[in-house]
Amino acid sequence: MRRLAHLLETRQISSTEVVEHYLAEISKQEPVLNAFITVDAEGALAQAKASDRRRREGQALSPWDGIPIAVKDNISTKGLKTTCASRFLANYVPLFDAEVVSRLKDVGLSIIGKTNLDEFAMGSSTEYSAYGVTCNPHDHERVSGGSSGGSAAAVAAGEVPWSLGTDTGGSIRQPASFCGVVGLKPTYGWVSRYGVVALAPSLDHVGPLARTVEDAALLFSLIAGPDPKDATSSDAREFSIPDWDESFVKGLKIGVPEEFFGEGISPEVEGAVRDCLNALEGWGAELVPISLATNEYAIDTYLTLVTAEASSSLARYDGVRYGVRIPAEDSNTMFARSRSAGFGAEVKRRIMLGTYVLSARQYGAYYEQAQKVRTLIRQDVLEAFKQVDVIITPTTPSTAFRIGAKQSPLEMYLSDLFTAMANLCGIPALNVPCGRDSRGLPLGMQIMGGHFQEELLFRVARLVENHVGVEGEVFSDKL
Amino acid sequence: MLIDRQEVMRMARLARLELSDREIDQYQKDLTSFLSSGQKLQQVDVSAVEGTSHAVAMTHELRKDAVGESLPQAEILSAAPEAMDGFFKVPRIVEEQE
Amino acid sequence: MTSYDTVIGLEIHVALMTESKFLCSCKTTFGAPPNSQCCPVCLGLPGTLPLINEKAVEYATKAGLALNCQIHFFSRFDRKNYFYPDLPKAFQITQDAFPLCTDGFLEYYMDEQLVRTAITRIHLEEEAGKLIHSGPTIVDSEYSLVDYNRAGIPLIEIVTAPDIHTPRQARLFLEQLRLLMNYIGVSDTKMEEGSLRCDANISLKPAGSSVLGTKVEIKNLNSFRALEKALEYEERRQSKLLDRGEAIRQESRTWDERAGRTITMRSKGDAPDYRIFPEPDLPPLNLDPAWVSLIKVSVPELPLERLKRLEEEYGLSRYEATFLVNYRDFGDLFFELAEIGLEHKSIVNFLMGDYARLAREHGHMAAKRLAELLQLQAEGRISQNQAKAVLEELFSCRLSAREIVEKKGLEVVGDPAALQPVVAEVLDGNRELAARYKNGETKLLGFFVGQVMRATQGKADPETVSQLLRDELAD
Ligand SMILES: [Zn+2]
Repeated sequence: MRRLAHLLETRQISSTEVVEHYLAEISKQEPVLNAFITVDAEGALAQAKASDRRRREGQALSPWDGIPIAVKDNISTKGLKTTCASRFLANYVPLFDAEVVSRLKDVGLSIIGKTNLDEFAMGSSTEYSAYGVTCNPHDHERVSGGSSGGSAAAVAAGEVPWSLGTDTGGSIRQPASFCGVVGLKPTYGWVSRYGVVALAPSLDHVGPLARTVEDAALLFSLIAGPDPKDATSSDAREFSIPDWDESFVKGLKIGVPEEFFGEGISPEVEGAVRDCLNALEGWGAELVPISLATNEYAIDTYLTLVTAEASSSLARYDGVRYGVRIPAEDSNTMFARSRSAGFGAEVKRRIMLGTYVLSARQYGAYYEQAQKVRTLIRQDVLEAFKQVDVIITPTTPSTAFRIGAKQSPLEMYLSDLFTAMANLCGIPALNVPCGRDSRGLPLGMQIMGGHFQEELLFRVARLVENHVGVEGEVFSDKL
Repeated sequence: MLIDRQEVMRMARLARLELSDREIDQYQKDLTSFLSSGQKLQQVDVSAVEGTSHAVAMTHELRKDAVGESLPQAEILSAAPEAMDGFFKVPRIVEEQE
Repeated sequence: MTSYDTVIGLEIHVALMTESKFLCSCKTTFGAPPNSQCCPVCLGLPGTLPLINEKAVEYATKAGLALNCQIHFFSRFDRKNYFYPDLPKAFQITQDAFPLCTDGFLEYYMDEQLVRTAITRIHLEEEAGKLIHSGPTIVDSEYSLVDYNRAGIPLIEIVTAPDIHTPRQARLFLEQLRLLMNYIGVSDTKMEEGSLRCDANISLKPAGSSVLGTKVEIKNLNSFRALEKALEYEERRQSKLLDRGEAIRQESRTWDERAGRTITMRSKGDAPDYRIFPEPDLPPLNLDPAWVSLIKVSVPELPLERLKRLEEEYGLSRYEATFLVNYRDFGDLFFELAEIGLEHKSIVNFLMGDYARLAREHGHMAAKRLAELLQLQAEGRISQNQAKAVLEELFSCRLSAREIVEKKGLEVVGDPAALQPVVAEVLDGNRELAARYKNGETKLLGFFVGQVMRATQGKADPETVSQLLRDELAD
């Protein structure tokens, strides 16, 4: 992105040309890929023209002024449809921008479109989108992952240089891993959730997806920081991009949790991660075998909490103020018909589960129990960070699966096996590509750190990136 | 089945979902399989801990009592499926029947 | 016929007088055009987040302190989930497991007796929107209209222990609670605008029994009268049922003002399952003890304290003191006038008399302006009747009491030398009666005083005139 910014700054290329390039990629690839729900060509070009004018007048808003970006379609964009991949919100146009979107606009980025996801971010493949599945750019028979599948695929396919996603149990990292891009789920509270449509507020995070570690770090620096509109946002902290000095790796303690390796993990995934670990060790890091035994409970804890919070967060879709309304004799029937018509099967399933675990008779056994187990998991993880600086695991047990391959909901839920823990603990976790499997599918590695340790994660990821190399450089021909 | 059909229907009513018989069967199965997989959570000894609502420690900054801008009525009603005289309109309200 | 003990508990919702709403910065003005005081947050649009208004927490804390509650430095917000057209998010942000205040009480007088009602808890929550039904009642309306202006206004819910024993006591309690809220300035408590609302729980048990009966909830009691009448009705209804050996159904009923009876709303067996859980969008509330201390200092003198002070320090009767407590503005005026040095009883007589009537019509008058009038009266320079006339003038012109007295020539003539000729003249014209007086018919004195007053157009000081007459007739 520094190169693109340099081209824009020196006026070797205009923002209009950049946006036109990506729009052309989008028109070319979308018929197959389906990474976008909405492409705002007109809006993006208008923003590009405005940016070019600012550049001409020496009024650029930032070095990144005029660079396009795609935003997951559960992040509110004023005047631009935000559907959450749901029929219920098919025509919903927000009256305001999400805080992260305002921040992007403030530095001159143009929103080129809204990317596909599993309906209301409930899923791990974008197969639960009301607008069709997003294919994996590396194999169109396979899923892009989810729920931020559109955001990951669009970046991987070169439809857009970077994008924003959301991550409640792995929804940035898993598709980033499947598509071979960098994706960060930040520390809870470091990026504002204002305007991001809630799935499970105590687990929801917004984060960057990009081709390179540096771009991801850069995008993160643009969206991170306290927001007075979000009561759960953390106190005054900014993030600046690290200097990429590599000496830190000497003596770096890397935790390698035994529970995340071995049985049930594809040997190719494990092999690639081990290879990177060895490289890191070669540069002076110390590999520390650790145990994160509580990960055994992570998925069930996560599912209990996410469905409970979702059943409440999605209750507002009742057909009174916006969205779908199916007329009925009385309000209760109207609510039920509108919701049933507007929601897909997975959303209904999770609402049913969530309603059950919160119901008076079950609350203690399920929701309350899960909150307490969450405490144990958090203690387990924070304890581990007393011994090590970062923890490295595979991001997913296997590479991208075939569209339609996962039939049962539980099978799908297991996609979050390695990622949900970070959401439960609010710690930052990042996917960095670490090679390809024999079919040419991307492999991903997860790096987790203590609260607010994003800089360290980026530094480690950058070393891994140097080790495995980055693919495809757009605009290199311009140099 | 860990959860009977009646209970599934009660949940659907609570959540304001109108489900077909086929969906009720499906969700009865799904809930049951979820609950049986979740059994191991029940076994965990949590007697020594409090529940976690937020994983990151945070201070609660309260908002000062200052009036900000509201949106114009037309904008508020702009997405309303049905509106009348500046109000949102809803069909007859009946008390919850459970 | 068995006799029963009545057990009543109240749940009172008080709207707090903040400038902006509880969770967003929209205005809280009553009576604005529908849906004109709304924003994405109070409309519950996707992605919006709540932000707690500090003033609402302050007011709730103040109410808790005034009601002798324990203020919890740690409290938490919860979501109470239910669907209703007036509830934009389909959940209400409230405090369930960890309320802000618990374990308080309110003391008040009932028939000379100081009684105490325990307050179980006070918690903060958000108000719902307002519904307007197309028909006369909700059930026979084809459709309803929703206005979200009210949605998100801060409320406190005050829950009493079930230790109120009569409908009249319930009313007295609510009146005192309302007065208290006014004193501490957290709410305008206008029942007609819904900023004070009351639900009541009532059960009957055989006299002396320690086993509580089945309780019935009465909702929508929108006036003190409705509260008392509904509870009286319910007492009768339940005792009749019990006399016949029938069971009381646990249910919610509503008061039908026109029919003068309570009617079933829904039976409690189907109580909704609210699926309450901690609000993930809001961190818990951790109050700074120093901040709470500051609020404690800001709690003004409360009604009962004022009553005691008026009785004990100012020597007023319960009746007088109660007037000055219930009408706080009159009480404030009383203290100002007393401070100036006027005699307490005469101030209160004056305030409760002609002044009250005129002040209700015209509004209050500055203490200084009033004090001058009272001073003239106290010095005997004007009579009580004259004072009344001057007071009316004071309300309608800008002159001071002294200026009015001068302008109208109202001043009392108290100089014996000036009155002597008039007295002599009156006695001269009534020799026969004077003789009868001297023969012992002393009650004729009043007649002579009246004659002198008439001759002086009421300006003579009656005391001086009596004295002069007695002196003359004693010769
Ligand atoms: Zn508002």
